[in-house]
Amino acid sequence: MTNHGESGGFRRPFWRAALRRLLSLVLTVLLAAFLAAALVRVAPGFGMDERLLDPRLSDSSIRAIQAENAQEANLARYFGRYFSGLFRGELGQSVSFGEPVRDLIADRLGLTLRSVAAGVGWAWSAAAVVALALGLARRRGWDMAATALSGGLLCLPAAVIALLALYFGVGPGAAIAAILLPRILRYIQNITGAAAERPHVLAARARGIAGPALLLRHVWLPASAELLALAGVSVNMALGAAVPVEALCDSPGVGQLVWKAALARDLPVVVNVTILIAAITASANLVSDALCYSLGREA
Amino acid sequence: MRRAAIGVLGAILIVLLCADWIAPFGYQQQFREEVGAAPSRQHRLGTDALGRDRLSRLIYGGRISMVLAPLAALVAVTLALAAGLTAGYLGGWWERIVTTAMDLCLSLPWLFLLLVVRAMLPLNADPTASIVVTFALLGLLGWAGPSRVILAAVKRHLASDFVLAARSAGCPPWRIALVQVLPNLKPVAAAQFWVTAPAFLLSEANLGLLGLGVAEPAPSWGNLLREMENLSQVPGHPWVAAPLAALVMVVSCFQLAISTGGTEG
Repeated sequence: MTNHGESGGFRRPFWRAALRRLLSLVLTVLLAAFLAAALVRVAPGFGMDERLLDPRLSDSSIRAIQAENAQEANLARYFGRYFSGLFRGELGQSVSFGEPVRDLIADRLGLTLRSVAAGVGWAWSAAAVVALALGLARRRGWDMAATALSGGLLCLPAAVIALLALYFGVGPGAAIAAILLPRILRYIQNITGAAAERPHVLAARARGIAGPALLLRHVWLPASAELLALAGVSVNMALGAAVPVEALCDSPGVGQLVWKAALARDLPVVVNVTILIAAITASANLVSDALCYSLGREA
Repeated sequence: MRRAAIGVLGAILIVLLCADWIAPFGYQQQFREEVGAAPSRQHRLGTDALGRDRLSRLIYGGRISMVLAPLAALVAVTLALAAGLTAGYLGGWWERIVTTAMDLCLSLPWLFLLLVVRAMLPLNADPTASIVVTFALLGLLGWAGPSRVILAAVKRHLASDFVLAARSAGCPPWRIALVQVLPNLKPVAAAQFWVTAPAFLLSEANLGLLGLGVAEPAPSWGNLLREMENLSQVPGHPWVAAPLAALVMVVSCFQLAISTGGTEG
């Protein structure tokens, strides 16, 4: 943002940038939906319908299933019908669950959003406390211990952390937090480490400013744009982590829904959840960008 | 530290490449009288639920994971180099297309994308097909992150004095791209490789634990982790966790290699 401080120059660039980001969001969501549906079609196994193997079905039932599948196979026709339904508030019918996709998502979205919000919140709180403590202590041994601990967690697959959460009886939010914590901590350490080397911080130190005031006002605040961008990215990381966590912890959220839908090759559910996840992650990035603008900084 | 980590990785890779000579048994060989046996002199890590030697499967599985994950990383970084170099150099609409594709790939959690596409394989997929598809998907979907870093590096180099000097000397654009810029991207590309390879190892492990990785009977460190699904049994049978220990050791070595020099440039 080049002319933030100029008189009358704030609103136009802000709204222009916001509009551009909104258009980019819509484009990303549409492309994500198209990509998901196209990928599903080129994947081996598409068009195989286990219902056709059922010997109890009559010829007319089999022909009806084949006609239904033929409609799904044409990508252009599928999207035409999909968007006309979308304007009427319909997201289609799930093949494997036999329920409207809108109801399936509505039933499960709340749980996933709560898990993701808890995971992101706990991970950020813990990472911020640890990073602040390390910044205040400035002990090489503590730094090495934190690096070793976060490095150890980074070496574990997310699915193993989900199994550990299940074993210790903690919820999916805690598992997502454990997956996110080392990544967020590392990024925060890198961002604040670079910010701490800047000349104004050295000058502040030379003037005797130390402790939380130095860290919060002279290191963290100037790095707020990068930290906000990281907050946006951490929503994406949390949604990615929600898939193995919900699948393995038997948490009936959207992650588990997409997992089951993928196994059952349930195209309407897969496409709608892809759109939803793309919309949530793009919106999170949009909010973090808007906050950066409102703070007068860019990442 | 970095040299030690690379040395350990090299030693592990050599051992795994010699799996045919080192592994005590074939990975499919069953010992039906010793199903789920504890470690013994004959079976150092015991046998699994189908009576197959766990150590042999660990070694063969390691060969698949440790050879194919770096290969997939190589594919991803090569794609990233091609996309980043052409986007940075050509600019205009091509750059916009590439950055939009990058944003799209980065806006979707890629484990989710992997899961969706991998799940489309028939459940009775041939093990070789599942191996190829799993690692090919990792390579093809993992280009976006490295590409963003490489694109930034290309732009930095294009604004540098040596490229300006080459331009003023009448060097043709393709020559500037291939002879002046590309060699200078080597450290960035190498760093991205060291970051991407362990990420792919972990992704394969996640897919394996979810039952969507390499298909049985072929072993990989990912599908060997499925024995840990019932974690309450692990304290009584710690040898079941051997694939996790191997995976953690290898990923740690990659991390040490990155943190102590792999990200140079």
